[in-house]
Amino acid sequence: MDKSRLPPPSWSTRFLSWFIKGEYYEDIQGDLEEEYQLLISSKGLNKARRWYSWQILKLFKPDMIKKIETQNSIEKETTMFKNYFKIGIRNLWKYKSSTVINVIGLSTGIAAFVLISLFVKDEISYDRHHIHAENTYRVTVKNYTTDGDLSRQWAFASGGHASRLKEDYSDITHATRFYAWAFPDLKYQEQSFLGEQVVFCDPDAFDIFSFEFIAGSPETAFPDIYSLVLTRATAIKIFGSDWQEKDVVGQTVTLSRDGNDAPFKVTGVMEDMPDQQHFHFDYLAPIRFVEMILGEDAANNVGGNYNWLTYIRTSEGADIPSLTENANDEFWDKYIGQFSSGGNARDFYDFEFQPLLDIHLTSNLEGEYETNGSLEQVYIFSIIGILLLLVACVNYMNIATSHYSRRMKEVGVRKVIGALRSSLIKQFLSESLIVVIVSIPLAVVLISLALPYLNEFVQKELIFNPLIQLDILIGLVLLMLMVSSMAGFYPAFFLSRINLVQALKGEQAMNASKWNFRSFLVTFQYIVTIGLIFAIGVIESQMDFIRNSDPGFDREQMVSMWLPRGNYSNETFRSELLKHPNVEKAAFSSRIPTGRLADNWGSRFFKGDSAIATNFRLPIVAVDKYFLDAYSIDIVAGENFREGMATNFQQDTIVTGYYVINEAASKALGFNDPAEIVGQKLGYGPSEGRIIGVMEDFHFESLYSPIVPTVFLVSDRYRRISIKIAPENTRESLDHIENVYAQFDAETDPNYRFVDDLFNEQYQQEERLGTMIKVFAAIAILIGCLGLIGMVGFIIETKIKEIGVRKVLGASSTNIWMIISNRFLILIGIAFLLGLPLSYWFMTDWLENFVYRTPVSVILVLTPAIAAVLLTFLAIAYQTIHATKVNPVECLKDE
Amino acid sequence: MKEYQLGEFEEIVLLTVAILHDDAYGVSIKEDIEKRLERKVSVSALQTALRRMEKKDYLKSEFGEATAIRGGKRKRYFKVTKTGKAALDHAKETRMKLWSAMPDVSYEFIKVWISRDYLPHLGQHAS
Repeated sequence: MDKSRLPPPSWSTRFLSWFIKGEYYEDIQGDLEEEYQLLISSKGLNKARRWYSWQILKLFKPDMIKKIETQNSIEKETTMFKNYFKIGIRNLWKYKSSTVINVIGLSTGIAAFVLISLFVKDEISYDRHHIHAENTYRVTVKNYTTDGDLSRQWAFASGGHASRLKEDYSDITHATRFYAWAFPDLKYQEQSFLGEQVVFCDPDAFDIFSFEFIAGSPETAFPDIYSLVLTRATAIKIFGSDWQEKDVVGQTVTLSRDGNDAPFKVTGVMEDMPDQQHFHFDYLAPIRFVEMILGEDAANNVGGNYNWLTYIRTSEGADIPSLTENANDEFWDKYIGQFSSGGNARDFYDFEFQPLLDIHLTSNLEGEYETNGSLEQVYIFSIIGILLLLVACVNYMNIATSHYSRRMKEVGVRKVIGALRSSLIKQFLSESLIVVIVSIPLAVVLISLALPYLNEFVQKELIFNPLIQLDILIGLVLLMLMVSSMAGFYPAFFLSRINLVQALKGEQAMNASKWNFRSFLVTFQYIVTIGLIFAIGVIESQMDFIRNSDPGFDREQMVSMWLPRGNYSNETFRSELLKHPNVEKAAFSSRIPTGRLADNWGSRFFKGDSAIATNFRLPIVAVDKYFLDAYSIDIVAGENFREGMATNFQQDTIVTGYYVINEAASKALGFNDPAEIVGQKLGYGPSEGRIIGVMEDFHFESLYSPIVPTVFLVSDRYRRISIKIAPENTRESLDHIENVYAQFDAETDPNYRFVDDLFNEQYQQEERLGTMIKVFAAIAILIGCLGLIGMVGFIIETKIKEIGVRKVLGASSTNIWMIISNRFLILIGIAFLLGLPLSYWFMTDWLENFVYRTPVSVILVLTPAIAAVLLTFLAIAYQTIHATKVNPVECLKDE
Repeated sequence: MKEYQLGEFEEIVLLTVAILHDDAYGVSIKEDIEKRLERKVSVSALQTALRRMEKKDYLKSEFGEATAIRGGKRKRYFKVTKTGKAALDHAKETRMKLWSAMPDVSYEFIKVWISRDYLPHLGQHAS
């Protein structure tokens, strides 16, 4: 009987024994098997096997599953965890110095990481709140030279683009222009507000962008051309903070400009435009009003006046590349065709639909409505943030593994008592968790302290309050778990691996000088440190290079401001200013150096009688005859403007022009010797005449862009005045300027700026970037040093006997010093070889942004290595001096 | 009065254990129920009921002999305890009380039949 017995499916039995309560197993399995055997004879083997498995599967239910056992294990675990925590806390308490180093390192690392994350999160969230953001594009226009090279790309399109694109392409469902026209004054009852930013737009704007209305609605925003939508801030400004009780919708306000008044009805109030949006307008009004003022044709002109911010919304899933291509192929020929001055519009223009979501981070076109962020900056900071966190974790790993000599016996005893490797791992992971739990509140305090400074620096209003921001709270908890497992995993595996016998014998289980994972960690820290010091060096020397580079014009004691409004003679204004003895020079111009060369016309150069259109962009600045002198720009050939050398542009006529060009223009026109080009004939826009002089090249625009060919001419299209004042009694001179300004325009403020400030502001972003990188790099270096100090301490501790023996045998302090630092020097060497090329590659990439850049000198390359060596020596010295002074007897006596 | 809770299946199992007296173990109980009541019983349902009633102290159990057919595993014999007996008595008593309290007219289904018959006629009249 027994021999013929066929056993039931063994995996089912195993399953049963795995889940069923221990005391039930024997008899239930017996019952099952008994019935199973009976079934084989009555129903056959297969049926019996199926029945057996099925019965077992049915037994898998709460009443039958081991319960008491699992409860036991949870109890056991919690008891063990209590023990781990207790031992952990005791250990942290016992070795206070390394705990302090760890906590400082981790909390600073976490704080810096969180701050950077806040910044990055804010940067990448721009414009995402618009429901149709994915399908919204900005129409930008590219300008090409006759050679087909891209000369400029504008953030603007013409007034005629929006409606025509929408009409011609079914994929473009909505289109709007935004035009900040005239900055009119706004009057309400007795109050008046000067130069308000009223932006005129098409009604489609409300279908493209999700502006949030507090009063009124997008549908009823523009019932007629005298409609005005306010924002919360402007509503408060006009109607007071209790505006919501005042029924502002329907109120009439007056917009006025140059003495002309127009009554506008408030039709709605929007929420203030969020910070994370690439434009901010205070008022919205229908663009049809501007069309009425400028004339329908002028406002819808496609041939020129590229001044209208234009956005389109496309249908879901529209094929943008082919839409762009089709539109470009048809648009220019259809609506412009040939220029009157010759040339095909299609050859010079191109438009591009720029995705709304890309604008803030990647767009840096001519005439951006506001300064955008930079993707590069986001990358740099993300990398630094992650590096900081890693350095802090590596620090913890280094210090924790250096502990091993102290923990060896503990681990050994635990193993003897029966601790599994897994429970030892749990123990050490819970220790890192404790350190992180202690570090997090400290990090939160650090973040709260540092955030106001960061906000001021990046000009944002970042908020950090984990108590009310759930996402931040969750983020912190995740970060806590991540950091503690990242920092704890290596020490846990390292310490749990210790050989039991060696541990209990008190042998050096791990050879301290062996190349292991820890050497790799130290090298990593050195790579980061060396890389960051190098980066700081490059940024600093580039900023220094720019600060000290001569832009070629005199910017000292130079004040510039917009001209007063109203009708007056420029000459009178100028002579009034010059009445004060300290006001030395004054000159009018359309733009000033540090600004942009944004205006240009087509130009042609005459060889004999035949005119050849120039194949490069030649921007124009309208100046007066005092301008070059005021900015100390030298004439290298020919002469400066004299009285009567004005180019008086007129509608539909070619007038006589007098031009001063720069050396770059001279070279571009094929004259390496500027003297030879003087007297040659040039055609510029609707003017023709002689080049009367060549001025030296200077940096009109920032050092980001090369010096471009430029033409100066005298024309009364001035917008700014530059005033040179004496270095003494600056305050008095400025008061005088303010007074004179007020005589001509009492309503607005002069708002003068020092040109050297404007000059520095061109590089503000780089300055800021540089300072922020420096601060965070300094933190990384600091954390690295802390770790180093901690580690050296432990190495010395493990080598204390060796040091004793060596001293007994006659080694000097220097010898001992060398023994300890040798290892680090090798690691520094490796880090230097790895870190420097990496950082070099990174930084040369950054330097590419500058047309004029500092060379990377040997000093720059060597400084990081020298700094790393010095820092290491200092860290070692600090610990070693103590160690070498110890009497050998002290360290050798106990064995 | 002490509350005796006994499910329908539990009652059957308890009664069967009592019937089998000295020979009540998993397989025999199951066979007996299946034979007497002509219904399939799963090991899981039976064991759950047995263990539950053991926990409620209606049953007690002890290991018996092992046989070859069981793969050397011992049987577990169940016996009805005093409490178990009381629970059975209580269940029977409750039923009897209810049975005796029930008047003949309370057979709801008779009325149902009457009204079902009646309604179609009413409907025909109305049309």
